Amino acid sequence: MGNKIIDDYPKFAVVGHPNKGKSSIVSSLALDDSVQIGNTPGTTQVKRGFPLKVDGKIIYELFDTPGFQRARRILAWLEENRPISADKRADVIRKFIYEFRDDKRFKDEIELLEPIMDGAGIIYVVDASKPYGPEYEIEMEILRWAGQPSMAILNLIGDEDYRDDWKRALGQYFRLVRTFNPLKAKFNDHIELLESMAQLKEEWTKSIKTAIKILQDLQQQKIEKSVDAIVKGTIKTLSYVHSKRIKSKKATKEEEKSLKERYKKELIRYEKSLEKEIADIWNHRTINKIDNLSALDNIALFSKESASIFGLSQKELIVTGASAGAIGGLGVDLAFGGGTFLLGSIIGGVVGGIGAMKGFENLYEVKLLGQKFGKRELSIGPMKNINFPYIFLGRILYHASIIANRSHAARDTIELEDKSSYIGKIIDANMRKKLEEVHEKLREGKSPKEESMVKYREVILDAFIKLL
Amino acid sequence: MQLKNQKLSIKSYLDLSQLLKEYRGSHEENRSFALKHKKLQKAPTKLLLKWLERHSFKIRGELNSKKYLEYLSSFDSIMGILFFIMGFFVGLGLLSYNGQAPVNIIYYLLIAMVLPIFSMSVSLFTMFSHGRVANFFTMLFPLHWIEKILIHIPFRKKIENFKPPFSFEFSKWMFIERIHLFSLLFSIGLLLSLVLMVVATDIAFGWSTTLQISADSFHSFISSIAILWRDMFPSAVPSLELVELSHYFRLGEKLDISMVHNADKLGAWWKFLAMTTVIYAIGLRFIFLIFSKDMLQKQLEREFLLLDGVKGILREFHTPFVSTQAPKAEKHLKIEEKKEKKTTITIDEKLYESILGWNFSADEIALANDSRGIKALTIWAVGGSNTYAQDLQIIKNMSGIVFLYVKSWEPPTMDFIDLLEMLIENKKVKKIQIYPLGTIGKHYKNNDSDVDVWIKKIDSVKSDKVWIVYNGK
Repeated sequence: MGNKIIDDYPKFAVVGHPNKGKSSIVSSLALDDSVQIGNTPGTTQVKRGFPLKVDGKIIYELFDTPGFQRARRILAWLEENRPISADKRADVIRKFIYEFRDDKRFKDEIELLEPIMDGAGIIYVVDASKPYGPEYEIEMEILRWAGQPSMAILNLIGDEDYRDDWKRALGQYFRLVRTFNPLKAKFNDHIELLESMAQLKEEWTKSIKTAIKILQDLQQQKIEKSVDAIVKGTIKTLSYVHSKRIKSKKATKEEEKSLKERYKKELIRYEKSLEKEIADIWNHRTINKIDNLSALDNIALFSKESASIFGLSQKELIVTGASAGAIGGLGVDLAFGGGTFLLGSIIGGVVGGIGAMKGFENLYEVKLLGQKFGKRELSIGPMKNINFPYIFLGRILYHASIIANRSHAARDTIELEDKSSYIGKIIDANMRKKLEEVHEKLREGKSPKEESMVKYREVILDAFIKLL
Repeated sequence: MQLKNQKLSIKSYLDLSQLLKEYRGSHEENRSFALKHKKLQKAPTKLLLKWLERHSFKIRGELNSKKYLEYLSSFDSIMGILFFIMGFFVGLGLLSYNGQAPVNIIYYLLIAMVLPIFSMSVSLFTMFSHGRVANFFTMLFPLHWIEKILIHIPFRKKIENFKPPFSFEFSKWMFIERIHLFSLLFSIGLLLSLVLMVVATDIAFGWSTTLQISADSFHSFISSIAILWRDMFPSAVPSLELVELSHYFRLGEKLDISMVHNADKLGAWWKFLAMTTVIYAIGLRFIFLIFSKDMLQKQLEREFLLLDGVKGILREFHTPFVSTQAPKAEKHLKIEEKKEKKTTITIDEKLYESILGWNFSADEIALANDSRGIKALTIWAVGGSNTYAQDLQIIKNMSGIVFLYVKSWEPPTMDFIDLLEMLIENKKVKKIQIYPLGTIGKHYKNNDSDVDVWIKKIDSVKSDKVWIVYNGK
């Protein structure tokens, strides 16, 4: 059989009965949503390696494999060739692979046994929502013959729970038995599973610990990148100005209407492109190919429903509008050296509060520019509505959190879980004050200060972390 | 459009800005590029320049830098020549000697020393102020207004649609640098005219002022101006005697007699004037030019790293690239969603000759029979812990209608298909009814998606003998 060069990184073959979620587990652990997952058994026909690489260096590798198809026939063959001592059993499996490599009947088994015989640890997957059956013992017996470090994963695909029965049986064959639901698993579950895998073999512990650190750093990078994208996208959206040249002295109603429509469309396009960017950051690339996948697709950006879910409540809106007005008023007070007895702030606050209420419906300020020079332009933007930035932020934070928490094994549509006010839960009054500092500058068409932007980013980061 | 051995310049700044709008590379590409240039890891500007050199061919269309720098060099050349000529003619004007009254050196000193010092002081304020204050100071320079007028020059059309991404601070330093460059050229023109006039004409210099300034005081003033070259070129420092001799008062057409008698000595002022021009108008200006060039370069370096997209690329250069995906794309199986239910039947018998249970024990089969109200003469457990040979023996003894329980939630494996094919091949078996049972927890009720899997598989066997019992539907 010759000496095979054994790579020094840990390898794990995810094996089991057909349709027990092997590919889902690999998809979830490898953060890869391109893996074909389906109810139809046999979607995985050849083994497929998913290496965790850092700058090209493999830290560990997972193998997705086809399910057992003719386990009884193989065990029968192995028994016929049973060696005198247990230490030679692995050689019998190697012999089986060698002899039946070109036999189509055992194609799936050879695909799944090969990585194991090349040194991969065994991750045996069962569906613990279905009853245990003795037929599994044949598969487990074959795997025992391989003599590799092994663990079992209890995947709960359905709504029943037979984990206790499974644990009693699996405990006789595997060192470790863990529950892992690839569809619901969050980042910490992923890390816990890796920690269990690290216990399988002493020599693998260091690599897996390194992998855990890498994945934690990667998660942090994704969070930072998402926040950067959200901040940049929000600023771009809020400061967007759309203009159109007009022929006559005054804009017609149709011209104004069409300008408003174009402006809205552009902001919607910005939101969509931001959603895509976030999906790409989290490597959910197939999400963008599915229509109406996100719950947000059914709630338009400029709808009342969107405002009621993601925007500020009427009370928050008045407080925010008042504080924004008061800041402006404070400038007047300071200009008069305090001689106004803070009257500027008070008047500004009241006007701002009322304005915020009134402005709830009014998104636009259409301006006619360049009259003196003969080139008349109708212009709309930047966004004047106090609530809109919160609606936009609420929506994009919601989308980002759903994407960040979504397992790569998930193929279902995203449902909007809680329809009660969203932004109030993640952004408190103090955070809102910091956001409003930037929003106000943008409403005025000015660039916010660097330090305000730093605070703005911090608030978005805090809000995003709360959602993860 | 390959750019070789680039240094950080306005060109590289504009090229990078243009490239980043079209291409930013992936994390994998950028990290692998940075790893190939490990020596430059701590020099982000150099690393970015290398990256620009590597990818500059990806810029589509004409380089903005080419258009802009062509415009800038045309503008600078025209302005440079204009300032040089202006300096030269101003010098000619100041030094023109009609033989009746001496050339008043005070005018020349105003242009060659006072004006440059004033302009350099204003430029200092501009250098160290920001925003509106700096903007105010720039407006004090004629160049600011000349640029505003020259905005309409024809070659500006070249860059009509291009707005350089420079910040106000960067534009300020560019403006200051140009102020010093043009002023330097003006001063060189001035010096050249002085040398030319001195060589070509015999000029009698003198000094005259309405103010009551004594020759002593004026000499002290002149000496303090000449302090920088007093020791090196003592001949370029006018003596008290020369200062006294060259002091004149405009009294109609008449000149001082002593002046006329010492006319040959009055030309000696030129050395002082030349040194004043060289030191104050040229030397000091040169230092300012070098300083502003250096500051412009530093500002360029700062802004180079602040270009939109650079932060991300630098982060990618320094962050290890982690990949978790499979290197090869998976060939997805085409899954037929069409259900062909022609193989399904309802339970039409209540008594069977043989009932088999795939992966069920005999007890479990009996329990299922009881639950479904089915009776059987013989019950056989197949699959499970049976060997293949044991199953073969059981199948050989089958005949008539065979009722076969399967676990609906376990998709049919090839092991099952082998058993089914044996049953089909058994000529004594007329019909095989497969009943996918649900779990006991669900009272044997199966679900549609599980049964669909069975239907599809059984369809693929293409046998008229095999039927699926579809839960009575």
